[in-house]
Amino acid sequence: MIPSDPEALDALAAEHVLGTLDARQAAEVARALPVDAALRETVARWEARLAPLAGLAPPETPPDGLWDRIEASVATRAPAPVVPLRAIPGRAAPPPRPDRFWKTWAAGSTAVAAGLAAVLFLRPADPPRMMTVLLTSRDQPAWLVETEGAGLRLASLNPRPVEPGRVQQLWALPPGATAPTSLGLVPEGGQARIAPGLVRPEPGMLIEITLEPPGGSPTGRPTGPILFIGRLAPAAGT
Amino acid sequence: MPDTGLTADAAAMIRGVAEGEAGALRRLYDAQASRLFGVAMAILRDRDAAADALHDAVVKIAARARQFDPARGEAGAWLAAIVRHAALDLARARGRETPTDDPTLGDGAVAPEALDRLCETQEAGRLRDCLAALEARNREGILLAFVHGLSHAQIAARLDLPLGTVKAWIRRGLARLRGCLA
Repeated sequence: MIPSDPEALDALAAEHVLGTLDARQAAEVARALPVDAALRETVARWEARLAPLAGLAPPETPPDGLWDRIEASVATRAPAPVVPLRAIPGRAAPPPRPDRFWKTWAAGSTAVAAGLAAVLFLRPADPPRMMTVLLTSRDQPAWLVETEGAGLRLASLNPRPVEPGRVQQLWALPPGATAPTSLGLVPEGGQARIAPGLVRPEPGMLIEITLEPPGGSPTGRPTGPILFIGRLAPAAGT
Repeated sequence: MPDTGLTADAAAMIRGVAEGEAGALRRLYDAQASRLFGVAMAILRDRDAAADALHDAVVKIAARARQFDPARGEAGAWLAAIVRHAALDLARARGRETPTDDPTLGDGAVAPEALDRLCETQEAGRLRDCLAALEARNREGILLAFVHGLSHAQIAARLDLPLGTVKAWIRRGLARLRGCLA
């Protein structure tokens, strides 16, 4: 459990940076860091406080062959080209809403997801329906991701311009996985389908959109900041 | 700690890596490898293991370069933190929690006098003064953990103190440091 109490959170972050957490606690912090902004901030402050201590380790020349090994690893991780997601034709993105409207919605992902789920999933369905609302770093709802059969569907809730010269890339991180899977580039239209087979949607799966260079991440891993993030959960009422 | 000139260079090299500039990762490696390998060696005390840690860390650095924000932290510290955590993960995988695995650090351990080397920057100077204000064993525990990657159990064995005492001292020491550095 990542504590919400600021003192306990600070103590956990401090020992994470110091290195005294055991393997289980350290793994828990590593999993929480991408999604927990308060933890990330607290850890960053402790990294800055203790950073000078790294200077106490005497420098030492690494083994000769190490660079070649690193180069080979970085090269094999260079991924297959990133495919654009299939835009859903004939459906324009919903018109932008005034900011004020969304501020009242920024009550946290669970409440928003539950509310939208109740509206959206009144129809019966075969596979268990899952959904999430991807939130901005300031907890503003931005995208709806829902399962569609064995695939996924992405819809913009709050269209906003992409930084010029950059693209948005969609990723999924199944629970327990160490690296996210690229689902593709988010199309301009704001609505897209992710065909079944790339990932198997499951509760707890993290879905995120990162800002990437044209053509998508050159490394196969997210390289840019996380713009939007959410966690798949069973849709309420199913 | 690198001086500000080296730091600016490191930040520029990380930006080069993020932008996919040819040879940028190699230049960053050449400039930082011995410092970073030293950080991993202080924790793992085994050249093969430290090489594995540096390998994992540089692969991570290549993938995360775009996430580095010079406004939020110093480049050398960002690199060292990734290497430390890669080395700590390896140390944990090698069964660090067992005190009997405690390698005798011998003369290799950072001596308290080493703190005198922490004065090249203003931040380092403040940290040194705040560490100096802690009780000696408290300070030693923090250094053994941060620099040498020792677990609570290993620190307890080395300082010949009960595990619970060490845990409480380190927690208290960190809280005092935070107050002192505020």
